[in-house]
Amino acid sequence: MAKRLLRIFGPLILAAILVFAVLASPVTFGFKHISTTRERQAAVSLSPNVLRGKHIKEAALSDGYVPFFGSSEWSRIDPMHPSVLAQKYHRDYRPFLLGARGTQSLTQFFVMQNIQGQLRNKKAVFFVSPQWFVKGGTRKDAFGFYYSQLQTAEWLTHYRHDAIDQYAAKRLLQMPAAKSDHFIYAALQRVAAGKSLTKDQRFYLQTRKNMLTQEDQFFSGINLPSQNLSRVNRQAKKLPTHYSYSALDRLGGQLGKQATGNNPFQISDKFYNHGLKQEIKTGNLKDFQKNLSYLQSPEYSDFQLCLDQFARLHTDVLFIIPPINQRWQKYTGLSETMLKQFDQKIHYQLQSQGFNNIVDLSDKGNVPYFMTDTIHPGWRGWLAIDKRVDPFLTKKQAQPRYHTSDKFYEKQWQQLEPSQLSQYENNK
Amino acid sequence: MLTFEPYGNPTYFALLGVALLPLMIGLLYGKRSRLYETLVSIFFLVLTFGGSKWTQGVALIIYILYEVVLTWGYAVYRRNHNSGPLFYLMVILAIAPLTIVKVTPAVENGQASLIGFLGVSYLTFRAVQTMMETRDGTLKNYNIMTFLQFMLFFPTISSGPIDRYRRFEADYRSVPDRDKYLGMLQKGIRYLFVGFMYKFILAYYFGTILMPKLQLMAMHSRGGFLDISWPLIGYMYCYSADLFFDFAGYSLFAVGTSYIMGIATPMNFNQPWRSPNIKDFWNRWHITLSFWFRDFIYMRLVFWFMKHRVFKKPTTTANVTYIINMLIMGFWHGVTWYYITYGLFHGVALVINDTWLRYKKKHRQSVPHNKFTQIFAIFLTANLVCFSFLIFSGILDKIWFLK
Repeated sequence: MAKRLLRIFGPLILAAILVFAVLASPVTFGFKHISTTRERQAAVSLSPNVLRGKHIKEAALSDGYVPFFGSSEWSRIDPMHPSVLAQKYHRDYRPFLLGARGTQSLTQFFVMQNIQGQLRNKKAVFFVSPQWFVKGGTRKDAFGFYYSQLQTAEWLTHYRHDAIDQYAAKRLLQMPAAKSDHFIYAALQRVAAGKSLTKDQRFYLQTRKNMLTQEDQFFSGINLPSQNLSRVNRQAKKLPTHYSYSALDRLGGQLGKQATGNNPFQISDKFYNHGLKQEIKTGNLKDFQKNLSYLQSPEYSDFQLCLDQFARLHTDVLFIIPPINQRWQKYTGLSETMLKQFDQKIHYQLQSQGFNNIVDLSDKGNVPYFMTDTIHPGWRGWLAIDKRVDPFLTKKQAQPRYHTSDKFYEKQWQQLEPSQLSQYENNK
Repeated sequence: MLTFEPYGNPTYFALLGVALLPLMIGLLYGKRSRLYETLVSIFFLVLTFGGSKWTQGVALIIYILYEVVLTWGYAVYRRNHNSGPLFYLMVILAIAPLTIVKVTPAVENGQASLIGFLGVSYLTFRAVQTMMETRDGTLKNYNIMTFLQFMLFFPTISSGPIDRYRRFEADYRSVPDRDKYLGMLQKGIRYLFVGFMYKFILAYYFGTILMPKLQLMAMHSRGGFLDISWPLIGYMYCYSADLFFDFAGYSLFAVGTSYIMGIATPMNFNQPWRSPNIKDFWNRWHITLSFWFRDFIYMRLVFWFMKHRVFKKPTTTANVTYIINMLIMGFWHGVTWYYITYGLFHGVALVINDTWLRYKKKHRQSVPHNKFTQIFAIFLTANLVCFSFLIFSGILDKIWFLK
């Protein structure tokens, strides 16, 4: 019987041991190399798998790519999109677009966790959307969609006992995604309580991290979407051979004019027809944002996580604050005063901590063909951004001096009315 | 609280391995612990119907009690009486919950019924069959505990295969000898591994990676004749492959697990893609379902029609019954135009197939039969089946009626 049992279960046991050995071992199996084509594809793919993973990002960022953190704006690929301009005019950097619809500061903080080596003493671009700063902050389902156990496990193997990581743990515990692994959940509870991890937890996390790292190496390159790369290539063909800001600005205006016109908002016809038209007809959108505010939000503290992470790694970051299409803003009743106050509050958070590279475009909402739709830059908007991004990335910058403060994790800051900013500063 | 899709992820299989190990050792030494088996069954039922899906769990418990009362009540009654109308009433009562579950989405704008739960169809098949065999007199010693074990046998609860009460009881009441059990173990493990390949590699590739792309392309290529396009044809084959590998993979898991538990649950698929005609296809595809339909709908209708001399010719009886049989199968899948069309399509295909086979038999000399015609028959059958799955998939509903 023993012999027969061995014949039946032998292969099963052997297979289980082999799979576990391969996954749990910290050795890489010749998957280290990633071709340049694959890097080019991944950099513009906006694929959630790439965002959640490590391997491809790590390889590309060590290879001349610069992380562009943000969200849905990256998918608005027209000839003036940063990826297109960088490729067409052979810049010595290439953007690696990180983020898609629904990614906000908290997701980006965890994205940074397993590319720390590629951020340390390097440069980055960070696109701050005012729309993130709504009352509830990041949506739980969106966060869950981009949640990566690999990034969490990696963070937990090197987290620090400070207010920053404690806040991150607490915030993560509020998300249903944290429950996807019971051991990680228990570890997070200890971090949130300011305790050290147990020996078993550390062992589990190390093993889990190894397994997820191997999985990422084996599988994250499979089925990488390539349609965005073809879009970039197609858009690049529309650009003149030599770069000239004024010529491109004119071209941007022309392209914008061609692409818009069937609506009073100067929104691209394609975007407008795709859903907005029907909604406008119902009249429900008129003044629907009248009471919307970006002034009180947990997002301010989530955003602070990103700032602290940059400060820890001495990353030199250029922040972009986009405008909102003014015709749209007027139609939906979104308060202009509120937008100005948002700008003040975010400026305070950035500048008081030494983050001084800010491209503030918030007053450009009325520039024709600056926005491609309601809230996303296009044509001339992208070009204006490029005008600042290019020199920032290609010229030597002074070493930034950050002095971050934990006060931005307090509820008081999240809820602070910008009109009380000066009072707040005096009291602190 | 954890909840699992049956056979859905590695953790489920790990738990399965741990739970079945004592059972395996017991069976190897000729012992079957009913108590342990019951505990394992309850554990996995709680994993499937507990936690966030607890409403389904409650629906399951109420449903099971209801069916127990019906089948047990009928078995007691049947000992001394045999009234036709009462039997029909009991069958209608047994099917009523399933009917409500299937009709609710059609009348409530796609909303699922509150009394539904994963596997309600398959449990109904088992209960109705128990009742019918009680009426026939072939099932004499109905036992509530065995019936419960039969209904709630966890490896097959969610989607079959549909076992038969007496076959299950014979396995359940006995312990296979060591040699036979080792053979079952060997098969069981092999089935699980072929299942892994089917469900987690092939069905994943066709269903999760390829299919959404083809669907998107098909939606973008609308506008031609009946909105048919190359991507739509690709979708047809891709959907068929996904349907087969997903369901055959699941069935292999269910049968493999049963074998490891010393229960020889019948196989659900037997190389369906090499069927030379549509009738043979139904003997190889979702076998336990088509045999259930054959034994409890088709045969009974044919007998009824013949007994009451409804049709003159036996061929007419067979043809009409084929259509009714397949239409019922269509309705069972759900009350939508495409499921019903799918049933009708297969009913008509069976009628044509029978007519052709009769013609062929009569004209043996003039109809060629060689390797080429055999291959052609297989090719034609496979494509016909794929086309029926295109109807079944519901994509035509989206392509034609979605704005």
